[in-house]
Amino acid sequence: MFGLESGIVLAVIGAALAVLLAGIGSAIGVGTVGQAAAGVVSEDPDKFGSTLILQALPGTQGIYGLLVGFLILLRIGFIGGSPVALTVEQGWSFFFAALPIAIGGLISAIYQGKTAVSGVYLVAKRAEESGKAIIFAVMVETYAVLALLMSIMMLFGVRV
Amino acid sequence: MLNVDRYAYAVGRIKVMETRLLDRDRIERMVEAKSAEEALKVLSESEYSDYLAELADVHEYEKILSAELLRIYRELRLLSPEEKIIAFFARKYDYHNLKVLFKAAHLKEQRPELLLPGLGNIPLEELVRAVSENDFRNLPLRMQEAAQKLVAKFAEDGFDPQLVDLWLDQALYAELADDVRKRKNKYLRDYFTSLVDLTNIKTFLRVRRLQRSKNFLAAVLLPGGSLDLLTMLDLSDPLEVILDRLASTPYAQVVAEGVQLFQQTDTLTRYEKLADNFLLERVRQAKYVTLGPEPVIGYLLAKENEIKIIRIVLTGKINRLPVEEIRERLRDVYV
Repeated sequence: MFGLESGIVLAVIGAALAVLLAGIGSAIGVGTVGQAAAGVVSEDPDKFGSTLILQALPGTQGIYGLLVGFLILLRIGFIGGSPVALTVEQGWSFFFAALPIAIGGLISAIYQGKTAVSGVYLVAKRAEESGKAIIFAVMVETYAVLALLMSIMMLFGVRV
Repeated sequence: MLNVDRYAYAVGRIKVMETRLLDRDRIERMVEAKSAEEALKVLSESEYSDYLAELADVHEYEKILSAELLRIYRELRLLSPEEKIIAFFARKYDYHNLKVLFKAAHLKEQRPELLLPGLGNIPLEELVRAVSENDFRNLPLRMQEAAQKLVAKFAEDGFDPQLVDLWLDQALYAELADDVRKRKNKYLRDYFTSLVDLTNIKTFLRVRRLQRSKNFLAAVLLPGGSLDLLTMLDLSDPLEVILDRLASTPYAQVVAEGVQLFQQTDTLTRYEKLADNFLLERVRQAKYVTLGPEPVIGYLLAKENEIKIIRIVLTGKINRLPVEEIRERLRDVYV
């Protein structure tokens, strides 16, 4: 099933997964926070600013996924026009390099969304505590950043 | 998450609406006001302010309360992703209306001010038509059965207003219990079973005081609770034994404290207050839920509690009760 050309296919699947899964997570997270924020703002329009920041937080995972996908394509020469001939081993390496941000991004974005929803409710009750609400949600970001770091280290470790 | 995230918008609105509930300070100011008029003025900085302008006399305060209740039910029906959640709590008003209509039809005295139009799930016109034409086909099953049974019974033995209350309450709670079973929501189930259990314990104490029979007790206990009082307790048991038997239930403290005053003064007001506070504590658990129907239910019950508190304070003020006595009757607040 896997010929010599399939290395490149595996790498492309990895790039697609990084963007897809992390993007799905971010869409769920940002979407849920947006609904909660809309509820709060409909009763109290002054809360728009602080709830908007909270809504944006789970969006970063999608960007990290895009970054990893982009870097994979760059390394295998999809960007620039001359694709490198990859062995199956190299293909799998790129595939696995994409997984930390793909799965880590998906799950951390959903949980960051949940934390940000709670933050929106906190802002609804106490506008002056919006900074704390943001910090709670940012804590979840740590794990998305760690996943991104690992993905980048792995994909630059592959020799082509 | 996707399943409950449709509640995100509703809960967001609820969280802001909760900040407008009357807090302890505001209620304390009402209690300490010199007159009923002054107590009412405290409400002018709250959600009730709109109605105050139209109020000619303090004695008409019920108008404010029912207008606010109506507003809350309308708003929550629109806001909640599942209207059924609100319909569950509105059902008691359908049964209330039906009771009033039954009594009005048979006692030949019209008391339209007792009816609550717009609150329940069934249009008032439909209930009026059903009672006047003796045709209950369009009503929910449990209500229909109870109404038909009542009509048949009255045709045989004459009218009995007590029976109207009794059978319709049984039907209401049976209907609610069916719904709780179907919904599988732990929060709603916990609230409902506690409500039924506490009401049944109160009923038990009353029946025992009136020295009625066990058959009578079996007929008045409501369905849907977690305690089987009929087998747990006996009407001839001394109070100590009753307290002892209930000691392992979650209501031990409520009963123990509530019954103390019952023995001395023969009133259950203290028990009722403690029971309401116990239920409110259950209701408060909604604060720890971010996505789901719980905060919506919690807000609805908080609002009903608030209206009850205002009623207690204003009736106390109008009847010139001492501040201490009003405070003694007050319930906790949700916020």
